[in-house]
Order: sequence, then structure tokens, then C-alpha cells
Amino acid sequence: MATAELRERGALPNPDVGTYAEVNQDILKVLGRPGRGWWMLFGIAAAGVGLFLTCWFWQIYKGIGVSGLNAPVGWGVYITTFVFWVGIAHSGTLISAILFLFRAPWRQAIYRASEAMTVFAVMTAGLFPLIHVGRVWHAYWLVPYPNDRFLWPNFRSPLVWDVFAITTYFTVSAVFFYLGTIPDLAAARDHARGLRRKFYQIISLGWRGTDREWHHFSKAYIYLAALATPLVLSVHSVVSWDFAMGIVPGWHTTIFAPYFVAGAIFSGVALVITLAVPMRKFFGLQKYLTVKHFEAMAKLCMLTSAIVLYAYLTEYFLAWYSGEPPERGSFWNRAFGHYWWANWIMLTCNGLIPLMLWFRRVRRSISALFVISIFINIGMWFERFVIIVTSLSHEYEPWAWGLYRPSVIEMGILIGSFCWFGFWFLLFTRLLPPVAIAEMKEVVPPPLRGSKEAAS
Amino acid sequence: MSGLERRDFLKVLGVGGAGAAVTGCSTDEVERLIPYVVPPEEITPGVATWYASTCGECPSGCGIRVRTREGRAVMIEGNPDHPVSRGGLCSRGVSALQGLYTADRKVLATPLRAGSDGFEPIGWDEALQLLASRLDGGGRSIFLTGPKGPTESALLDEFMEAVGGQRVVHDALDDTALRAAVNIAFGVNTLPRYEIAAARFLVSFGADFLETWLSPVKFAADFAEMHGVDHGEKGRFVFVGPRLSLTGQNADEWIPARAGSEAHIALAVAGELVRRGADAGPYGEVVRGYGLEDAAEAAGIETEALQSLADHFAEGDALALGPGLAGNHQAATAANLAVLVLNAAAGSLGNTMHIETAPADRPSSFRDMANAIAQMGAGSYGVAVVSGTNPAYTLPPGAGFADAFGAVPFKVAFATTLDETAAMADLVLPDTHPLESWGDSRPGPGTYAVRQPVMRPVPLFESRAMADVLIETGQRLGQDFGAASFREYLRAAFNGWLARDGMRTGLAGDPNRVWRDLLREGSVTHVDLSDRVTSLQPPMTAVDFDAPGVAGSGNGELTLLVYPSPRFGDGTHANRPWLQELPDPVSKVMWHSWVEMNPATAERLGLVRGDIVSVETAEGAVEVPVWPYPGIREDVIAIAMGGGHTAYGQFADGNGVNPMGLLSAASDADSGTLALIAAGATVTATGAWQRLVTNEGSSDQDNRNVAPALALSALGHAAEEEHAEEGGHGQLRELQEMGGFRPVETEGRAEDFPLPGSDFGPYADEHPRWAMAMDLDRCTGCSACVTACQAENNIPWVNENQAVIGREMHWLRLERYYETVDASHSGPVDVRFLPMLCQHCNNAPCEPVCPVFAAYHTPDGLNAQAYNRCVGTRYCANNCPYKVRVFNWYRYTMDPSEGGNIPEPMNWQFNPDVTVRNNGVMEKCTFCVQRIREAQNRAAIEGREVRDGEVHTACQSVCPAGVITFGNIRDHDSEVAALAEDERTYRVLDALINTQPAVHYLKKVTHHDVEDGGH
Repeated sequence: MATAELRERGALPNPDVGTYAEVNQDILKVLGRPGRGWWMLFGIAAAGVGLFLTCWFWQIYKGIGVSGLNAPVGWGVYITTFVFWVGIAHSGTLISAILFLFRAPWRQAIYRASEAMTVFAVMTAGLFPLIHVGRVWHAYWLVPYPNDRFLWPNFRSPLVWDVFAITTYFTVSAVFFYLGTIPDLAAARDHARGLRRKFYQIISLGWRGTDREWHHFSKAYIYLAALATPLVLSVHSVVSWDFAMGIVPGWHTTIFAPYFVAGAIFSGVALVITLAVPMRKFFGLQKYLTVKHFEAMAKLCMLTSAIVLYAYLTEYFLAWYSGEPPERGSFWNRAFGHYWWANWIMLTCNGLIPLMLWFRRVRRSISALFVISIFINIGMWFERFVIIVTSLSHEYEPWAWGLYRPSVIEMGILIGSFCWFGFWFLLFTRLLPPVAIAEMKEVVPPPLRGSKEAAS
Repeated sequence: MSGLERRDFLKVLGVGGAGAAVTGCSTDEVERLIPYVVPPEEITPGVATWYASTCGECPSGCGIRVRTREGRAVMIEGNPDHPVSRGGLCSRGVSALQGLYTADRKVLATPLRAGSDGFEPIGWDEALQLLASRLDGGGRSIFLTGPKGPTESALLDEFMEAVGGQRVVHDALDDTALRAAVNIAFGVNTLPRYEIAAARFLVSFGADFLETWLSPVKFAADFAEMHGVDHGEKGRFVFVGPRLSLTGQNADEWIPARAGSEAHIALAVAGELVRRGADAGPYGEVVRGYGLEDAAEAAGIETEALQSLADHFAEGDALALGPGLAGNHQAATAANLAVLVLNAAAGSLGNTMHIETAPADRPSSFRDMANAIAQMGAGSYGVAVVSGTNPAYTLPPGAGFADAFGAVPFKVAFATTLDETAAMADLVLPDTHPLESWGDSRPGPGTYAVRQPVMRPVPLFESRAMADVLIETGQRLGQDFGAASFREYLRAAFNGWLARDGMRTGLAGDPNRVWRDLLREGSVTHVDLSDRVTSLQPPMTAVDFDAPGVAGSGNGELTLLVYPSPRFGDGTHANRPWLQELPDPVSKVMWHSWVEMNPATAERLGLVRGDIVSVETAEGAVEVPVWPYPGIREDVIAIAMGGGHTAYGQFADGNGVNPMGLLSAASDADSGTLALIAAGATVTATGAWQRLVTNEGSSDQDNRNVAPALALSALGHAAEEEHAEEGGHGQLRELQEMGGFRPVETEGRAEDFPLPGSDFGPYADEHPRWAMAMDLDRCTGCSACVTACQAENNIPWVNENQAVIGREMHWLRLERYYETVDASHSGPVDVRFLPMLCQHCNNAPCEPVCPVFAAYHTPDGLNAQAYNRCVGTRYCANNCPYKVRVFNWYRYTMDPSEGGNIPEPMNWQFNPDVTVRNNGVMEKCTFCVQRIREAQNRAAIEGREVRDGEVHTACQSVCPAGVITFGNIRDHDSEVAALAEDERTYRVLDALINTQPAVHYLKKVTHHDVEDGGH
């Protein structure tokens, strides 16, 4: 394939990237001594983690009553945030596994960061079911383990499915992430000195880059990608069934699985954009993360935004078409009830604002994408808030309608969860190559014997 | 090995072991487990003992059965053998348990003497010495009491005679005006005896006979009998008055007459009856002078409404009640008299209303109290004793009680807890609670009931019964009442009565046997010795029927009604957290006061629900949030009594406002009763707002038909109508067919429900299937079931700050939906009550979603919750369409020192048969599974099946109206199985979501036409 053609498809990052050495140089320099900005961000994140743990421990000590939850709204910010982070997790696998299998070359520059995001998002999401239960010290009862009481979890409960879905997803995405990093860790090892070198030596598992190793590596990577691919669809489907399997008006609908998967990819890609834009700038990765990549992600957002908008409208139509007063009442309440503003934030951020992506100029403007991606993140959080809180607040029995207001503790844990995620992500940017070195090299013209590049 | 030989080791082991064993035998430890050292023979640990007694919470004297476990009272139910209450009870009666165990009694654990810096505890001996010496040489004394039982009254009178003094009875909820009216009309100082059950047409002129008036539990039972549909017939009930109380919400028709217009209306209707030929005796001429049109004009209502009233009265078997405390204005006696005259003209006398000559208990009146206040203020008394009444709180400040009482040199209070009056005393003596005391009651002609202690006085407090203290004080003063204790005194009085009247009343026989029966049954019925008055007497006193009851009413200003709270009465019960957290039956507000105001008035004043306003009269002002209520006239606002305590313990103080401060000390001239209506009230917004503490999500059913009704005329045709409807499922079906869908013909349609077999659930036939039926046509919304459930099942209260965000823990709530409530004109009123508890669905949505099987189905159909297994995901509550699952957000059931709400010894009330739940678990109605298992065990021991009706749930065991039926629906002969087949039966939301509940509701039946969207 001609270089020009590759460039046009986004497979070649930048004509400036000429040699393997340059790739190594550009990416591994990120791993150097962090600057003041990084330390500041890291400090904020660490403080947030402290806040997160303080709030959580206070809640365990006092009781779940420190949240604003009540009857009828038994799930609120915690489950909203849980679904939000699970959703975020999906784009990572989508970009690294599915797009890998579909041979979409533009993924190469962003997949490492999005995979890391996946792992950390699942780590964050997985905490929320623990945070929200009344007796976290008994949460292990949801796990099927042989015990002398012969008690098993209820396999009919979507919450048990959740346990499987989340643990499976975490395991597979963590292994997939780690496996993909190994050659790059070796590169980092070769680049590093002192204690760092020791560290990379251990975690690169003695990678030498032999043909045999590459052979096994690519086979394993393909298998894992194939294994991870169905998970992208299944995990968020299972999460959506937490709701769809309930009979709450506003939850009980068959479109939830595809709707949630689309929403997950939508929010995940948006967060990749949100994270990639500053990374690109601070670490000087403009050569590798180009406008082409952002445009591709923007297109993905366009598609998924259209799907979720369609789902929103379908829900309204079906509520009207069902003729059932509780169903109609629920959606009337969603649009015009106490939480109308959440609904309109959701519709605006997820349905209207992304319409701007239909303009090529917007898609190619990094700053516009950054702003839009933040709106999408907000909108997707509110989507889950609307589905969970608004529906629960207005169910079948009119006498039992009620309202919910998040407490300070819940907001602390919400903010803390972003810090927890940021904490790991910041560590990642300094410890692991944030862009896949090996794969970037695949699209650089190979060094030829005797040429200048072959020397490095 | 050195140091320790094998033998030494064994020696040490032996000695140590013996030491441990000896320590283990310490009696202290045993006492902590079982509160008596020598167990009474009849008590088996683990088995409940029941005592029949008489409720002491209000003067009605309902019969109760108290369940005790290991010497502690844990539950109060209605006594089905009692002729007055017939197995019913109210929330206040059940809450006596909290009066017994309240932590506020700790303040008064010993006698207290007022010192320079507050109260100081002293011993009983010193206290009695002090009391005797002051009574002996401290000048004339006055004894202020609440209503007391006949024998205690006799002792009090005897005591006051001995020490030289006067006794004044003060009851803020007095019936003086009615008594005075009866005296004028019939020449007897008594109260009428109403037979509501015998009436077919009932009118209440504002009397809240289902809440606080006279004997609400008895009336609720009678009303259910009269008004509940039976063989296609039901009585009609019209409510006349400016505000729909809970009683009014039960009416078929509401005539929203102006406050103070009762006399006019009653006389005009009587006049109309006389003009049609009825006989009003000596009042015939008087009533002729009152025309319907004038009355309608004066009352601000339509003449047709009064015409229709007269028509119904003319049909006979009618009864007019009231006006009760709603007519306590400055012409209260005239209003009461007018209603009595109406009854006489309608032929109710001797039919539905009886006047017996039996002398009733000593009445109380505000006038006597006002005289006493004047004399106390003038220094006529050296000693004032208070018991069972709290005038410092219940009287308007303008009456001057506080100053006058304060001026008495030596003030003594007998009290179980401190209240506003006792707090002013120089000596406070801890009294026993009625559940710990002896007493008696004559709740009706031909009935004598006893009150017996159901347990030893709570050992944390050195309380002694007032009657015993009086007897002992008498002895110290050299007076002998012929008994060493009140128990003996009571017994002697009873024996004396038996000896005197035993033959004539049919109670002859061994007095010991009669007494034993009395203690076992709680009451004896006997031949009534009183005479009946059958006609009106010429009036001895001239009553001015035209005197305005409410000065200035009707001129566009707001009139303030102060009414007794169904939960707190006059405020006496405000120190019970169960009652504080019981949603008021009308407003559904908990923990604080509110001012009721017509939505139109609120709109005119620019106010919304929760706006805090200042309500001002000439006497004072209170700040209170607005609760807009369509059941109140536009020219009237209302505030309930019972809020705003200042020295009534931790659960009452600071909750709400006391409206008595808005009233002047004006009274009715004829009877001297205090006027509870003040004209010229103004309402000003303060700009502040608060979220009302309420469990009311929406009072509109929003087309869900969770509480449908059936018109009386449609009764018997319900099945046909449904059939007719089938063709016209209308719009929905059309739409579905348009879209190419065919509705499923065999399932999912409203008319297919209940699905065949869905009553029984999935289990095999050898198991029973417990089910409940609730007759909504009988439910009055009184909410006694809510409190009974709370008492039986160890349900904690959560306090205001939790209740305001919807965390109250009630397993049973009383929903109240407005269908038709319009204050702008007379017409039908339709308020639907729906007691909502776990429906124990066969197809329960909560069960499959629980990840750990904490929510599961028992083979006998119960939807059970294993608290110990619960992790607290709350998915079950989310998925429950009835929202009857409640969650332990905090450690509510623990002591405050451990972050809970229930201070020692209030946790002594916990039912040992029910798990006390802790932090982080879900809980819900169990259908009182502990009672089911108890009955099953009993049946198994006796080698038989559980009988139908043997299991009574707690809610059922207090319901005065007989709403609830419980049993095995698989037994086709059971009552619940029969009710499940009734044409009125429906199951909430079943047709919509196929939950197949085990609770079968029987639709309310209305006299007016209703749209029955009935699922």
C-alpha cells in the first residue's frame, strides 16, 4: 500500500514519523520524570481518593442512610455512577478488540489509552455495587462459593449476572491490556535506567522480541480480542437487564440492551476524546494522535448518538402506544415532572449537541471535540440518573411517589470516583507507554539495511 | 519440666473451674434474663400471657387485651368480649405501651421536690411526709384531675372531703355543652346514647365521632355496621360542617356549612319535619320559625341540600350527631340542643338515640376551671394537686392558669412523666401508668369494666399508684378509707355494688367468682337499671338559638377552627413517637403542625403547600406550614391540637405549634364550655418554606384505579357491566389493531383477571395459602392498624429528619385518595382509603431479583424476607409495585448511645417473637408470621387443623370496623375464600402486572354514580 494511501486512511500517523527510534523516543519520553503539572493533578486525584475512602468508610460506619436514598428511590447516584463507569469501560475494548479484528488501522494510536481507561473504569465501576449495598461486609454472598450452609446466590437475579459480567469483563480486559503492553514494556525497559529498569524488567516478563515471541504474541492477542469482543456487547446488556428485568415503568423494556450498549460506546468514546486531547497536548503526541484519529472517533460518536436518540424517542412512543397509565405517567413525569431538568440535560447533551458532529469542520476541530465530549460525558451520566431516579420516583402506586436528593456523602463518592479513576490513569501515563509503540512501528517504513535508521 | 507438676496443674484447673462455676451461678445474671426471681405459676417463659383490662388513654373505656411475655407488656389489642369496643382499638390505645415504657419516665424515677435550681429527687417517705404535712396545715386544697373511673372518682371525692378541699375535673375535650343541652332538653344530667348501627340515615353536624368524640372505637364499629354494604343495602351518611374531618371524609355527602351554623340548619330541618307533620314536642313552635332558605342563607349553602336532608329524615331511622367539639363556640349549648331537637322531631329518640337516667361521671367544664383559676389567683388555696390533666398546656394562655396556679403556695402533681403543669409543681410524685394500675370504668349502661395491672410497675421507676398514695396519705392524716390499698378499695366498692344491686342486675352469686370472671373477661354486662326518657321536656332554661356562635363569621375574614387531633387528642398523646410518626389520618403529616386551608384560599393568598405562614388572631400568633386541603371551606382555616409542647418530654417538645395560644378564654354562656373557634384570623406569609413531613406521594389515583369503587346501584350488576365493556376496550384495542397487533385473547386482559388458580400460588395442595381480605367499604381510615402493626412487629420510628425524606418504616400504610372533595357546594364526597401492606403476591416481583434469596416464597404462600441473609441491594424494594418494603437506613432499633432511636426502656416493648432488625437490611409485612406459627403449633399440639379465623394479624386485632379478614384461602369454607369471590373483590394492579396478590380488596360502595375503571 502506498504511503499516501495509508496516510489517507489514517494508518500512518504523520509523515514526520520516519524511524523506529523516533517512535521509541517520542513515546518513551513521556515516562520520564513527571513535571509540576502532573504532580498537581496527581495530588488532586490522591486527595480525591482520600475523600472517596473517607466518605465510604463513614457510610459503612453510620449506615447507608448517609446517602439521600429512600423509599421509593432505592437506587440513586451510586448505581447511576456504576452504570456510567461500566459504560465508559466499553469503548476501550471496542477500540482495541473489535476494531483490531476489523483491521481499522486508526485505532493504533489510541487503543492503549482507551484500554487503560477500560481497566480503570471497570475498577471504579466495580466498587459501586459494594458502596451501595446496605451490608457491604456480606457482599461476598453474591458470589457462588461452596459453603456448608448449601446456600447459593439466586441465579435468576440480574444482580448475580452482574457479578459475573463485571468480574469477567475486568479479568479479560485486564489480561488483554497487560498482554498488549508487554512488547512496549520491554521497549521501556531498554530505555530506562536504575530502579525503573528493574520494574520494567519484571513486568515485561523478559520479552526479547524474537520471532517466536511475536508469533505467540500475535496469536494470543487475536484470541483474546476474539474473546473480548462478545463481552463488549454482553456486559452492558447484562447491566441493562438490571433495569429491564425489573417491572418499574421506564425500566421494563426490550430495547434496553442495544440501547445501553450504544450508550456505553458513545460515552466511552467521548471519554477517550476527553482524555486524549490533553494527553496529546501535554505529552506532545501530536504526531501520533492526529486529527484523523479524532475524526474517526467523532464519527463513532455520531453513530452511537443517533442510536441513543432513537432509543429515547422510541421509549416515549412505546409509553404512549402501550396505553398503560403507569407507563405513560412515568414518561410524562420524565419530561415534565420534578426531574424534568435532568431529562432535558440528557436529551440536549446526548441528542442535540452531538448533531454538530455532522459537520466535518467540527469533527476535525480538536477543541470543539473536547468540549462536545465533555457534554456527552455529562449527558450520559444524566441518562442513567434519569432512567434510575426518575423512574423509581414515579412508579405504579401514586401514594408512594417520592423524591430523592443526593446527599453530600454521595456527591463526595461521585467526585471521589473520578479522582480514583484519575489516580490510576495518571499513574498509567507515567508508568506505561500511553501509545502502543510496537503497533505504531508497524506503520513506519521498516528500517533497511545500511540506511541511517537501521543504526538505532 | 520444672515449675508446674501435673498434680498442681490439675489442682489449679479444678479450683479455677469451680470458681467459674460459682460465678456462673450468680443470681444477678439470671435476673437480667427473666424479670422475676420466683416465677408466677401461670407464666411459662416463651409463652404469652394475656390480661383483659380497660384502656386508660381516654375516657371512652374501651376493652383491651394485653399480651405479656415474661412479665412485660408487649402488645395491646382490642378485647372482642368487651361490649363497647368489641375488639377494636385506636392508635392512641395501642400507644399506651409507649406511655408505659417511655424514656421520659426516667426523669421522674423518684419523687421530685422543686429546689432552688430545679427538681431534686427525694425518697417516697419524705415525699409522703411533705404531702401529708402540707395537706394537714397548708390551708384549703384543690384537686385538679382529668376524667377518672367511677371508683377512683369516689376515692378522690372522699379524700377531698377528708382533707377539706374541692375537686375540679378538667378535660380539654369536654362534652359539657352536650350534657347541658341534654339537661335542658330532657331534664337529665347525662350524655345521650347513640345507636348508630340502628340508623339508616346518619348526619353529623361536625362531630368527629370516628376520631375523638365520646367513644370513637365503638362508633367506628357501629358506623361500619350501618354504612358497610350488606345484602345490597347501605346506610347514608351526610356530614355538615365547614371542615371535613376524617369522619367527614367517610361521608357520602358533604354540606359545607359555615362554622357556627349548626343550630340554624338543625332547627330548620326540624321545622321542615314539623311542617310535614312531625312532632317536636315543646319545641314545635320554636322550630316552625326556622325556614330552610334562611338557614341555607345563613350557612352559605344550597337550600336543596337541606331539602334533601329533610327528605331523608322524614323516611325514619335517622340519627343526627353532634356537633361535638366542632360546635364548641359561644353558642355551643344551643347548637347541641338544636341537634337533639332535630333527633326528637325525626323520631330518633328511643330508636337511634337513647337518654338514660343513669348518673354519668362528674362532668368537667371550662367554667368550673375558670372559677378555680380565679380562686387560686385570689389565694384561696394553700395546696393544689394535679393529676391526669395538663391545663397549663390545654387552656388558652388568656385563661390565666399559669399565673394562678403559680400563686398557690404548695403545688403537687401526680404524673407518669413531667408535663407543662407538673413542671410547675413543688412536689411531683411518680404515678403508675394505667397498665400498671387498678381501676374501673362504666363505659355504657349495663356494663362494668375493670382495669387491672398487667405487669409489675416498670422496675426502673419508683412509681406508685396515685390512689394508693392517697389512701396512705389519708392514713398519715388519721383518715381511714376502709382499705389498705386501692385494690382493696376497688374490690370493696365492687362487692358493695354487688350486694346492693347484684340481684336486680342479674349478677348474683359468689362475689369471688364474679370478680374472677370480671378479671378474666375484662368486663361484665348486666341488666341496665336506668330509666329511659322518651320525650322532650319543656325547656327549663331559655336558650337563645339565634346568638351567633362565631362572631363575625361569614364576613370574608378567615375563621380559625381548633380541633382535637385524632392522634394526640388534646395533646396528651403527643409524647408517643409512634403517634408522632403516624401520618395524621386527614393530612398525612407527621411530626409537625400544619394549617389547613382551601386551595382556593391559598391561591388567593399566594401560598403553596409548605409555605410557612404566620396565623394571627387577637390573642396571639403561630408560625406553621400550609397544607392546602380541598375539604375545608374557603372562609375557614384549621389547626389541630397537640403540637407545640414545651415540657412534655423528648418526643413532644418542639414538634409543631399549640393553637390554644390563638384562642381567647371565651366560652359558651349556657354550659361554660371553652370556644374553640376564633373569628378574624389572618394569615401572612413569612417567606419561609418547609418540606412537609408526609408519606403522601399523590392523593390522585392518576388513572391507575388502585382504589376503585362501585355505585350502590351497580351492585349485583357488576359482572354484566364488565361484559358490556368488553367490546369497547376502545382506543387502545383500535390502536393495537391498527399497528397489526392483536391483543392476547387468553391472558393479559383486565377481564381475565384473576387468572385461574392464581389465588393459590405455585405450591402443592397440602400447604395452606394465607390470604387477607379488606373491605374498603368499611374502612374509615383511622390508622389504628398502622400503630398496631408497629407495636407487634418491632418497627422503629425514624424521627422527623428521616421521615421527611421518606424513610419511615411502617409495614402498613393508609393511603387516602380524593375522588370528589369540593368545598364550593354541597354534594357527594368520595374519599378512598386503601390500607397498603405487603400483598404477598404469588407472582412476586421482589423475589426473583434478590441476588441472595433473602426474599423468597414460603410453601404456605408468604412472601418472606430472611433478614440475616439480606445484603441490602434494595432491588426488591425498587421492583415492588406496591412499595411496601422498607429499609433500615441506620441502626434505628438500637439505643441512642449506639446511634439508634429507641432509648431504654422503650425497647422492653419489643415483641420477643419478632426479630429486631438492624442496619442495612430490608424488611416488610410478614402477615404476622409469628402468629400463624403460634396457631399452627397450638393446632399441632392439640392434633387438629388450624381453625378458620384462629389467626388474627395485628392489624386485624385492633380494627374497630371489621375491615380485615385473614385465613387460608385454599380452605374453600373459609371466610377469606368467600370474600375473595365477592363481586366487589379486586386485587390492586393485578390486571396490569399479574402479580397475583394474596390481599383481596372489596371495593368501596358509593351512593353516587362512579366510573368503575375496575381492573
